[in-house]
Amino acid sequence: MAIPTVILKTEVLRKTFKVGFWGKQVTALEGLNLEVRQGEVFGFLGPNGAGKTTTLKMLMGLIYPTSGKAWLFGKDIGNAEAKARLGFLPESPYFYDYLTGIEFLQFYGHLFGLRGGSLHRRIDELLDLVGMTHARDLQLRKFSKGMLQRIGIAQALINDPELVVLDEPMSGLDPIGRKEIRDLILRLKETGKTIFFSSHILHDAELLCDRVSILVKGRLVAMGRISDLIGAASMQSIEAVVEGLGSDGLAQVRPLTIKVTVHGERALLVLNGQEQVDPILDKIRAAKAKLISLTPQNSSLEDLFMREVREQGGRA
Amino acid sequence: MIARIVSISLNTFRENLREKLLYNLLIFALLMIGSSILLSRLTLGDYHRLILDLGLASINIFGVLIAIFVGIGLVSKEIDKKTIYTIISKPVPRYAFLVGKYLGLVITLMANTVVMIIGLLVVLHVMDVPITVLLFKSLSLIFVELMVITAVALVFSTFTSSTLSAIFTLAIYVIGHLSADLKTFGEKMDTVGRGILSALYYIMPNLERFNLKGHVINHVDLSADDLLLTFAYGASYTVMLLVLASMIFQRRDFQ
Amino acid sequence: MKARQLHSKSQNLITWLLLSLLLCMTIMLQYQLQQREGHVQKLEQLRLLPRGEVLKPALLGYHHLGADIIWLKIIQVLGERIVGEKDYEWLYHALDVATTLDTKYIYAYDAGATVLAELAGRVDLSNQLLEKGLEPNPGSWRIPFVLGFNHFFHLGDHLRAADYMARAARVPGFPPAGPPPYVARLATRLYAQGQNPEVAIEFLEGMLQQTHEDWVRDQLERRKKRVTVERDLQTIERSVQRYIEKNGRNPLSLLDLVVNGVLTRMPIEPYGGEYRLNSKTGEVTSSTHAERMRVYRSSDAMAKKGDIE
Repeated sequence: MAIPTVILKTEVLRKTFKVGFWGKQVTALEGLNLEVRQGEVFGFLGPNGAGKTTTLKMLMGLIYPTSGKAWLFGKDIGNAEAKARLGFLPESPYFYDYLTGIEFLQFYGHLFGLRGGSLHRRIDELLDLVGMTHARDLQLRKFSKGMLQRIGIAQALINDPELVVLDEPMSGLDPIGRKEIRDLILRLKETGKTIFFSSHILHDAELLCDRVSILVKGRLVAMGRISDLIGAASMQSIEAVVEGLGSDGLAQVRPLTIKVTVHGERALLVLNGQEQVDPILDKIRAAKAKLISLTPQNSSLEDLFMREVREQGGRA
Repeated sequence: MIARIVSISLNTFRENLREKLLYNLLIFALLMIGSSILLSRLTLGDYHRLILDLGLASINIFGVLIAIFVGIGLVSKEIDKKTIYTIISKPVPRYAFLVGKYLGLVITLMANTVVMIIGLLVVLHVMDVPITVLLFKSLSLIFVELMVITAVALVFSTFTSSTLSAIFTLAIYVIGHLSADLKTFGEKMDTVGRGILSALYYIMPNLERFNLKGHVINHVDLSADDLLLTFAYGASYTVMLLVLASMIFQRRDFQ
Repeated sequence: MKARQLHSKSQNLITWLLLSLLLCMTIMLQYQLQQREGHVQKLEQLRLLPRGEVLKPALLGYHHLGADIIWLKIIQVLGERIVGEKDYEWLYHALDVATTLDTKYIYAYDAGATVLAELAGRVDLSNQLLEKGLEPNPGSWRIPFVLGFNHFFHLGDHLRAADYMARAARVPGFPPAGPPPYVARLATRLYAQGQNPEVAIEFLEGMLQQTHEDWVRDQLERRKKRVTVERDLQTIERSVQRYIEKNGRNPLSLLDLVVNGVLTRMPIEPYGGEYRLNSKTGEVTSSTHAERMRVYRSSDAMAKKGDIE
């Protein structure tokens, strides 16, 4: 397998802000190391206020790192050549609302030095891609939130970028809107683009991402393939529901479980792992109790996320 | 790069054209210029003077108001509305964005001033007031003053809120018109006071230099040399402010 | 990466250089323009002031501040002292505007009128300004005082001067706000012996006590010296008269007067010259001032401005 090209890399990237009158230092990002490879969909996850937007703004050259380095396409961040190969959609974007859809895209096209027929063709393509052809002559002030998000993505794609950076592309949208954005991202991936997006909605990430990283309170707590991350964290638990175990039986099984909950005749036993299954079944049989169900509990990204957040003392 | 600056300035111009404030001020200015016809019926004697006086003053004051109140929002509004994120993340250097915004407002001011000048010329023509070269010299210097004030507003706009920018810019405008006095007061002080005041005198824009309204009314000509030097002064001051604004803007974090 | 940092550093340096360069250029242009304009523009600013009645509503309630600023501008022009005949019309206009904006701007009336009368020789404008200030400022003794001064020294009308002085003395209050005691004394003396140079000297001393502007003080000091000469001459003349009555002939010299006891001591000529006696005619003169001041001769009460210089 060829080693995939790294197109976005940060090295102990750190940002502190001064807040308040006395300029108290607050750390927004603490030594971030990140690598995004060509062609992947990378989810940059974390609860609100974890430092996701701060990181993206640094990568886009909107704010400057306090220390550390970052490269896009092997060039220092802020480099014009790198920016030319990049598309960015900011969080809950506000645009020049007096422009129509087409004027809006024309303006951003001009910023890349695109003009004339090729720009027109590009705009038509993009409007079609994001399903906004009907709104080409409508002013942005009349757009719905979902439409703004889609025209915003079109704006980010005007220069046919290799890397598309999206800040919370799904937030504030209804389920249909989210589905549309998800489909759009997958379509972009098919055309070979690399997508780096931040989100606090894990379900979307789980469906889309090849790799994710989890940021909590400015610290990176996990990075890798979802399956690996969940696998590594996997201490799959198993739940058994048993009827008529009796107090003797309960006393017998208790050492083998993590947790026991009793509801009248029925008891819910939570087992630590596969190894405990056989001994437990033996005990149940011995106690002449009835096994109602035996369910392996798959740990989801959400569990991982919640656990990491709790470990960092943060709030999801 | 120039094409990008032009795109940004045209977009700014388009944005400005949507400001209701602009039209209100423009209509008010035209009314003031027009009202001089009525007032000149009331006055005795030299009504030429009154019309010129009122016309030039209106063009100047309303130009300054537009320059300040549109100028202060130029950059800070883009930051507040986060529209700047999509521009700075494109291969557009920050200075280019700033210069584009500045030129956009200058185009707006140009359009406004032209409308007001046409209004004044119509009134002058109707009232048979002779239209002199000196009048145009004065109008051109008024425009130079507007360019300087816009640049001042832009500098403040790069690092502070709209309200504070407005206050600072107004303060500079007032000081700029009194700066000759600063120096004279300084001359009557001790060395420290004199040093501070004459430093202020040289650093603050001397806006009185662009004021030829009295010359026009009293028919005191300004030599071509003086006019040229004054243009050069305005241009150099403006470019200096733009460089300063770029330096501040370059270091800024957009949060 | 090092090279890149270096690059951005050099870019930084270039911007700073550019900024300094532009600053120097701006200052040079500013200086150049300032050299070209000189004194003219400041006076023109005064000339271009709109009428006070028009300006006042336009200042939206800040007319006191407006008056202050105009006064500051006036002061600058006065400080320059190269003011021509025409310029005083503008000066008067500016003073009129300042005092219309703030009708109680006593200092502007006072100093303005003194400058108009003393430096510009425009007693008419000076009095016009003061008369305007009389009504809104009944509590000020300075305005009638200066009016009295003008009438006495410039118009030679010691009776009207005495009227004004009496008015100044009647202003209630005590010094420093109210009139000093010498004002009442002066009023009385003006009524009784208007042509006496002693009165004039006391008057000038009173004026000097109240005046702090050097250029006005200079003028008053000059005037005082000139009146002192006149007073001395009159004293000597009276001694000569007594000498003739006593001895039936003209004195031979001034020293003769002192020896004879008709002159208690020899007065010192304030300009550094000396007093001379023509032993044939009995006429007394000063070596520095050949002309006499007619104001203090009861024969011709009316004086011209030129007399005093």
